[in-house]
Amino acid sequence: MTEEPYRWLEAVGNRREYVREQLKGGSPAFAVKLKDGILVLGVGSGQSKVFELFDRHALAALGHPADIEKIRQAAIDAAHMEAFTRAPEDVSLRRLISFGLSPQLKTNFEQIFSAPFLIEMLLIELGAEPESDVVVRLHYDGAFQISTTRVTVAASESDREKAAQDWLNEKLAGVEDRKEVAQRLLEAWWRLVENKEFSADVAADWKNALRDKIVEVGWLDRKANRQARYAPLSPAELGL
Amino acid sequence: MSHAIAGDFLSLLATRQVSALKVDAAAAPAQTQATTVFAFHFKDGVLMAGDRRATAGNVIVTDTIDKVIEIDATSVLAIAGVPATAFEMARVMQTSFEYYRRSQLQQLSLPAKVRALARLLRENLPLTMQGVGVVMPLFAGLDQSKHPAEPKIYFYDPLGAQFQAVGYAASGSGSNTIRSVISFQERYGKPPPSQMSLGEAVQFTSRVLMTASEFDAATGGVNPETKTFATIKILDANGVRTLSGDEQLKHLKP
Repeated sequence: MTEEPYRWLEAVGNRREYVREQLKGGSPAFAVKLKDGILVLGVGSGQSKVFELFDRHALAALGHPADIEKIRQAAIDAAHMEAFTRAPEDVSLRRLISFGLSPQLKTNFEQIFSAPFLIEMLLIELGAEPESDVVVRLHYDGAFQISTTRVTVAASESDREKAAQDWLNEKLAGVEDRKEVAQRLLEAWWRLVENKEFSADVAADWKNALRDKIVEVGWLDRKANRQARYAPLSPAELGL
Repeated sequence: MSHAIAGDFLSLLATRQVSALKVDAAAAPAQTQATTVFAFHFKDGVLMAGDRRATAGNVIVTDTIDKVIEIDATSVLAIAGVPATAFEMARVMQTSFEYYRRSQLQQLSLPAKVRALARLLRENLPLTMQGVGVVMPLFAGLDQSKHPAEPKIYFYDPLGAQFQAVGYAASGSGSNTIRSVISFQERYGKPPPSQMSLGEAVQFTSRVLMTASEFDAATGGVNPETKTFATIKILDANGVRTLSGDEQLKHLKP
């Protein structure tokens, strides 16, 4: 069937539909650039969603755990290979995504006889200054956007993702307290998974919704004096 | 060929009147391999220290080298021997330990870390035998199978045999001098190193290095007046931390 071009386009369209359908209900992930570092947050049901990739790099994703794992391993392999052959300072998100992950994801997505990656991701790079932080929103088909806002969200539906991101950027403008930031992110998470409007003034009930969930928080610490800047934070450490 | 075993390769060379390979040590490039590094248990954990001098023959190359290297958050390496090889070993360990931790989502166990260094030393055997790449490191790591986690010290021979040190270990050209000093302190000292507080341990470390530098020209000393300090790293149940010159000075003031 693929010898006819329109068949191929149709097949790719079907794949896109299939991936979106599979990702529906996925638990969103968040990254917030702060003065002292970058806070990464995800809510899972046992499977991890927030990971350390390299000294200054992290990943947060939603999707199929096996696909998250494949991408995570590929990114870790590439980053460590680069650091060993050159230097840790040469590991950059731009190169990792542009020359590594994005082309691979695109190729995989267009190979219509192989299973597509069921994944939506945030990749994060801590800079020496807040202005040089990089957060990239990478999609299942290899498309990616470098985030220009303080808060970046990865969710399964693009409209809801944008609404959450706009709402969070407004609510968290100027907020540096990690506890307050995490609380807002959890409220946005609750609104996303419970399909609540961001414009509506509803009493957020995220604490109840988290009862059987695991909140994962990663902190890329700008002030840490060791090479590895990533540290997992427990909700208790955040005062949640 | 009195030291050749009948029938071995060297005796075969002798019977065929072929001279065995000889390494002309004088022709080899000058090596920067003299040093003093040591580690001992004190009340709060393990203190690992080293002087900061690198020499090549009788030339002082630098007095600002760091021979005690943080490998990851729970292990430290002190290098004595040829720096080119030793630093590369440290780099291999840093990358492989962190790679394992990140990819497997768990720390490499202490026995595996200890063996990883042993393997690197064994792989370095050809250079060691040629006399141009010998490394005799010390390693300290946190045993996280215990609760609370216990810091442990290991020392190695150049072929990679690993030994756990009960109280202390030392390596480098100045180690013979300080081994006696630490041993004396361990037996008769009040307090012995294992009972010292951090301040006492830092003071003891500086004095030991000053003593080593008296007897070994290749060991740099400690001189607070010229802001020349040792490299000191502490390994306790919380992991590794570096004691800066200012922190050392605080403990050295009477």
